[in-house]
Amino acid sequence: MARAAVLQIPGVNCEYESARALEAVGIEARVVRFNEPASVLSEFDAYVLPGGFAFQDRIRAGAVAAKLPAVERIARESESGKPVVGICNGAQVLVETGIVPGIHPGRVELALAPNRAPRRPGYQCRWIHVRASEGPGRATFASTLSLDEAVPLPLAHGEGRFATADPDVRARIESQGLVLFRYVDAAGRPAASYPDDPNGAMLQAAGITNVAGNVLAFMPHPERAAWLRMMPQDWPGAWGDRRRAAIGSFDALEGPGPGRFLFASLAKRLGVAAPEGAAR
Amino acid sequence: MPPTAEAPVLPFAESDPAALKKLLAAEGLRLAPGEVAKMLELLGRNPTRVEATLFDTMWSEHCSYKSSRRVLKAYLPTESPDVILGPGEDAGVVRFGVHEGVEYALVIGHESHNHPSQVVPVEGAATGIGGIVRDINCMGAEVIGVLDALRFGDPEGPRAATVREIVRGVVDGIWQYGDPLGVPNLGGDVFFSGRYDENCLVNVVALGLVRTDQVVRSRVPEAAKNEPYVLVLVGKPTDESGFGGASFASAILDEEAEDQRGHVQVPDPFLKRVLFEANRAALAWLHGQGAPFGFKDLGAGGIACVSSELAAAGGFGMDVDLDLVPTPEGEYPSEVLACSETQERFAFVVPERLAPRLLQIYNEEYALPLVYHRARAAVVGRVRTDGRYRILRGGQTVCDAPVEVVTAGIQHERPRRARPAAPPESPLPPVRDHDALFRKLIASPNLASREPIVRYYDTEVQGRAVLRAGEGDAGVLAPIPGSKLGCAITVDGNPWYVAADPYWGTAHVVAESLRNLVAVGARPIALTDCLNFGNPEDPEVFDEFETSVKGLGDAARALGPKGEAGPPIAIVSGNVSFYNESSTGRAIEPSPIIAALGVLDDYSVAITSGLKRAGNVVVLTGAREARLGASQLRHALTGETGGRLPTLDFESERRRTYAVLDAVRQGLLLACHDIAEGGLAITAFEMALGGFASQGLGLQLPISALGDTAAEVRLYSEAPGFLLEVRKEALPRLMSLFAERGVDATITGRVLDEPRFKVLDGGSTLIDIDLAEASRLHSDGIRPYVE
Repeated sequence: MARAAVLQIPGVNCEYESARALEAVGIEARVVRFNEPASVLSEFDAYVLPGGFAFQDRIRAGAVAAKLPAVERIARESESGKPVVGICNGAQVLVETGIVPGIHPGRVELALAPNRAPRRPGYQCRWIHVRASEGPGRATFASTLSLDEAVPLPLAHGEGRFATADPDVRARIESQGLVLFRYVDAAGRPAASYPDDPNGAMLQAAGITNVAGNVLAFMPHPERAAWLRMMPQDWPGAWGDRRRAAIGSFDALEGPGPGRFLFASLAKRLGVAAPEGAAR
Repeated sequence: MPPTAEAPVLPFAESDPAALKKLLAAEGLRLAPGEVAKMLELLGRNPTRVEATLFDTMWSEHCSYKSSRRVLKAYLPTESPDVILGPGEDAGVVRFGVHEGVEYALVIGHESHNHPSQVVPVEGAATGIGGIVRDINCMGAEVIGVLDALRFGDPEGPRAATVREIVRGVVDGIWQYGDPLGVPNLGGDVFFSGRYDENCLVNVVALGLVRTDQVVRSRVPEAAKNEPYVLVLVGKPTDESGFGGASFASAILDEEAEDQRGHVQVPDPFLKRVLFEANRAALAWLHGQGAPFGFKDLGAGGIACVSSELAAAGGFGMDVDLDLVPTPEGEYPSEVLACSETQERFAFVVPERLAPRLLQIYNEEYALPLVYHRARAAVVGRVRTDGRYRILRGGQTVCDAPVEVVTAGIQHERPRRARPAAPPESPLPPVRDHDALFRKLIASPNLASREPIVRYYDTEVQGRAVLRAGEGDAGVLAPIPGSKLGCAITVDGNPWYVAADPYWGTAHVVAESLRNLVAVGARPIALTDCLNFGNPEDPEVFDEFETSVKGLGDAARALGPKGEAGPPIAIVSGNVSFYNESSTGRAIEPSPIIAALGVLDDYSVAITSGLKRAGNVVVLTGAREARLGASQLRHALTGETGGRLPTLDFESERRRTYAVLDAVRQGLLLACHDIAEGGLAITAFEMALGGFASQGLGLQLPISALGDTAAEVRLYSEAPGFLLEVRKEALPRLMSLFAERGVDATITGRVLDEPRFKVLDGGSTLIDIDLAEASRLHSDGIRPYVE
């Protein structure tokens, strides 16, 4: 049995659905408060920093939380290869700690800057598509996912644009395959413009890993798409077809949704046999 | 507590009318002279400043329902087999269903935050959300969704700049509060009309989920007779923010509104989210202890109201010690500490022996003092068994009265006078170019896409969404993980309808809200109302109010599944907001806003309004009546908003509504959309467009079979009805179901495999538009007012 900690920092708000998505693939999940003794965290095999507004996004999203002893402990645990996923606000926290991408350890090399979108500044909540690439993170976070698939997922953020001021960091992120997930259109082609590209991120990045590939900063919300019932009913494409075919079938709607892959991949990496019908 | 001295009093009894007026003004009190006399009679002496402030708040229209109570009681049905708790507490509670042997209930509340949103839109709207979610949480429930019904002035009218600023501010306030709180937005509606130019409406609805055996009442429990109980105040430190807010909400906005900003509370969704988590832990622990307890949120009237109401509801008294109330640095007068409306606070009454552990949960585990300067939980009072209510400060008794005197309330009889009949409708000019008219209408403020607003709202958080705002006619949630149980909710109102005919206009709003529920497959179980009107002292306004409430009550009785013969759809919670007018005496349109809540035994049957598959047929039910009063068409062609409303026949409406519900439940339909503002044309167009996403389908709509009235009547009559997408194979079953129920049905369209919207009348094509282009027009309609 593998165990994952979902870290509850004041202001996060996705801890319960994140825990449910882990439980659905057979990973035992516990919501751990930020001020529990940091040593508690060492007992876990994986960590999720969930979405929300940790410490009210004071200074910058994720900046205050990145200094917490609990987050420092998780960063240290990651050095031994334990998987860590930061979703949305959790991604902002990981980037603020510097462990993603971690090209020069100890340095903060990335930022999640305010969205760049025509006529539409600030926060937005919408469904988009992402596609996985080959890279060091694939084995941990996308092993159950075909690289051809355009995966519909919801996102909800105001500051989700991966950016760096250092051209060398950008080049190495690209050359080392650290952009594990990119925004694409419904057909899986690179997102050329808004709204397929929701925020103007460098390299159309939706998710970037560390060099070792065991820490992922991911802006979309796979936990909000982990069951088929969460899929918008009129969405185009294969996932939309599955959702429409499931009208009237509770069992089908309680099956995996497009975001399940991340949790299923994590379970596989942790050696957890997923419950029947839970994986994809 | 130490023995106390008498506090100084305000010399009301000795004041002549002129001096009284002066004294009230100097003290910032809005009590009427007659109300001062009643207060003196109840107390038997002059009040202290704290007491006068307390009565001023408790007797405000906002808190006392002094004009409306009689009317609400006379007309509104509040009980049905679905109801657990009707109006009276912070929110209504209705039965939901059983999952794995546990019985669950839904909690629903409905509030307005109109004046604050007009004066400071961001904070006003944010604290509107902040207040309604507290009402739900304090019933012991987890908040699982909010909705917002917004009414703004004319964004193209004489005050367009201010109106647009308010639109942007209100939308910002709602998302900036709701999103960090982690509560999804489940829907809402927006209506623009010039009569809201100087008084916008921000109505908010919140929904909660609770185990039926864990509903917490807002009162001191009976057990306080047997052991000592204390009052625990939780949350933000008490400051002067929002002092006088309830009275402000109950007055007419005037030119000095700028000076009234101090009455608006300061929102903090970050602290609220932490408090909700701490409340979850605290409630779970208290339920485990087995001792009864009370819980209530702090809203209007602050500590004084919450403590006296908790005490009075249980038949007890209370001593509250203001010296124990956590505050920021600085000195605060007693009346401010007692009555300010500082946000993000709750109060418990618990056995004294449980208080230390309760404080530990808030102050240590959830670290309130760390996340917000000086926020904490503290014991601030003690329950008395003798019914005496006292507030103490610095060795003085600043309030001392039997609790029933404090919470006695007040009522006013308001005179009524029917408004003079409106002049007859002017004839509509003929429509020469249907295509151009259609393009104009789909971009008009009241029919354009709400997408520019909705994309700011988090519709996904909590992972319970089945249908989102805009996907279907109502938002649908699967709130209990692993359970088939679903719930659906919608909020509706049409001010032009109610202005044209307060009785039938309101009944139409109820009917529409029920149509929205059945369209997604939900059985209606409860309603809430927020009744926004002008000055109740104006006999014509009050007549509109009473007539509207009568229409609401009659519709709620007649539109239950069995009509008058069975239980009604009960009204379980609500709010009355009067004095919605500007200093120039221009009242808003009478604006009852109705939320409707429904249940799905199996959420998987829920369908959206978007078309599903090319080749399917589209069926209309509900004849297109040639009555275009108050319609969007009439306004577009003449600028007028009055006239004769479409007929609402309760019996045929009821039959149609429940026939559609059964058709959805039996899986006969693939898409369903009710007909309301904009009529058949707009309904059909929205189905073709898909509310939330589109598969690239289109719709061909021949209208020659719909009677021999003018095409614009058939296209834009807002007579009630539905448009249904049906698979050809399911058509015979649908037709026989409708025939059995005596419900009309006409095949009126076909789903196309290309993104076009075409309307044909006999041999001529009235409308033919590419849906990508139409979508741009539709979604850019209100964008300039929002972005």
